Amino acid sequence: MDAATAIHITGASVPETTKALATRLIELGRPVEVIDSALAERIGGAAGANEVSGLLSRNGVVVLAVYDGAQPAGDTLAVEVDPNDTPDFAAEKILDLLDEAGVVDLESTEYTPAEEEQIRRRLADLGYVE
Amino acid sequence: MRNPKVQKVLVIGLDCATPQFVFGPGGFDLPNLEGLAERGCWGRLESCHPPITVPAWTSMLSGKDPGTLGFYGFRNRKDHSYDGLFTANATAIREPRVWDILSRHGKKSVVVGVPQTYPPKPLNGWLTAGFLAPSDAADLTYPRALRTEIEGAVGPYMLDVAGFRTEEKDGLLERIYAFMENRFATARYLLETKAWDFAIMVEMGVDRLHHAFWKFCDPAHPKYEPGNRYEPVIREYYQAVDRQVGELLGLVGDDTAVLVVSDHGAKAMIGGLRVNQWLIDEGLLAVEDDLSAPKRIEDCTVDWGHTQAWSTGGYYARVFMNVAGREPNGTIPAERYEAARDELAGRIAAIPGPDGRPLGTKVCKPEEVYRTVRGVAPDLIVYFGDLEWRSVGTVGFDTIYTFDNDTGPDDANHDYHGILIMDDRTGRGGAEIEGAQLMDVAPTVLELMGVPVPDDMQGRAIR
Repeated sequence: MDAATAIHITGASVPETTKALATRLIELGRPVEVIDSALAERIGGAAGANEVSGLLSRNGVVVLAVYDGAQPAGDTLAVEVDPNDTPDFAAEKILDLLDEAGVVDLESTEYTPAEEEQIRRRLADLGYVE
Repeated sequence: MRNPKVQKVLVIGLDCATPQFVFGPGGFDLPNLEGLAERGCWGRLESCHPPITVPAWTSMLSGKDPGTLGFYGFRNRKDHSYDGLFTANATAIREPRVWDILSRHGKKSVVVGVPQTYPPKPLNGWLTAGFLAPSDAADLTYPRALRTEIEGAVGPYMLDVAGFRTEEKDGLLERIYAFMENRFATARYLLETKAWDFAIMVEMGVDRLHHAFWKFCDPAHPKYEPGNRYEPVIREYYQAVDRQVGELLGLVGDDTAVLVVSDHGAKAMIGGLRVNQWLIDEGLLAVEDDLSAPKRIEDCTVDWGHTQAWSTGGYYARVFMNVAGREPNGTIPAERYEAARDELAGRIAAIPGPDGRPLGTKVCKPEEVYRTVRGVAPDLIVYFGDLEWRSVGTVGFDTIYTFDNDTGPDDANHDYHGILIMDDRTGRGGAEIEGAQLMDVAPTVLELMGVPVPDDMQGRAIR
């Protein structure tokens, strides 16, 4: 999968999961476009939406395709939301897949060198290390 | 037999809560904890090797030993270089903890202040990070917005006790109390406002209190002074914690099983043993520095070509050997490694105390105490004086013994057993549990919640 992609989301809580996922992707610095059924209708139905999705995806935008009809052609990740998952959790599971695919980098929250030194000093202060 | 009415589990973690204070004899008056124990069961909970916050809580909540987890303390070698270290925060954890497993089963969790939960990872629920977060970290919660919500409800979320190494005890005690109350208030808020199935909180103040005030309260401590003004501090703190536990218990119903656990216990710390100074004196560690003044070993220029072993300081010692073909400038031939390790273990175990009598030091090999050894483990794990003596890594002294901590006052070391109290709503009537171990907690929680226990968990459910 390229660094830009389309994600076809089906299953439970699709609008809520899509919103949560879009929020997290924006936090991670990725441009996002949501194509839902209403938008798809305005751009020519599923066929038009597929075309737009492919265009956006090829130009670096993560497309969350949640319109009815066949999933977008080409480089698309199909995800079915588990009904047991909360929207936030479902979104994070999708992010894990995107992380594996190289679309996002979830490891960016490791300590910076300055933070590492701050933590080391705190642990030394507490007696755990020297 | 599991009570089918139990739908939820609450785990209250008290870091370093020690059996002698809770269970006695001569235990403190702790009506809420005692009530739980009388309705359910109780006992000593054996810690892991080493009995330290990291890796102990994660061992408890993953059901796996530190060797399997691949970290052996807060700071670990990332490879066999001499200076490659990493701090084992949440990103070091590759095994699922209880809430990860419950998330997969659609159960919602509240997780408050558990060590090694920074940076927060997604779960089906709500999480506030433990104390390994940087002080200015933006992402202390999952979801992120939870931080604002908590701060609006209970005030700023506290990571730890500031200014721990001080002789100004009144102020320190106030800060420990404030930290404890903040942690319980956060837990109460989440228990009251979220639809949770599993909840866990860890209160770190007990540990901070032990290290800072043990000598004032334990007549067996060499620095104890009868009648000192801080003598009741530990007892009063445990009683304050007990009242907080009571408030939490008031928020849960009969459908909730409750566990109170600690990751290790505590005991008086008699002194420190300067392990690297001993290695130098024995000709096993060579440094190029002028050692007429104390110096951290990390700040020394080690002559690796003439060094066989070095160690870290802390509540225990992690001794590393300089093996040819493994370390960059290894001096111990690989084929002699086992013999050299046995010899070194024997020599360390035989170090006498300052009075010339045996110190009772325990020396462990990782492969003898873990099912698997992942990552870069120490070659030897050492508990000086059976944990009555601290490991001091600093060098530049004419004696290997010290009765003052190089980094400030500290009166307690960790001990091998913590506490377990469990009311699983089956009416056990105060039965004492024997032989429980940290890794038994995770399968116990899963079984109480009716969730299958993964086959690779090394503990067994307490029944």
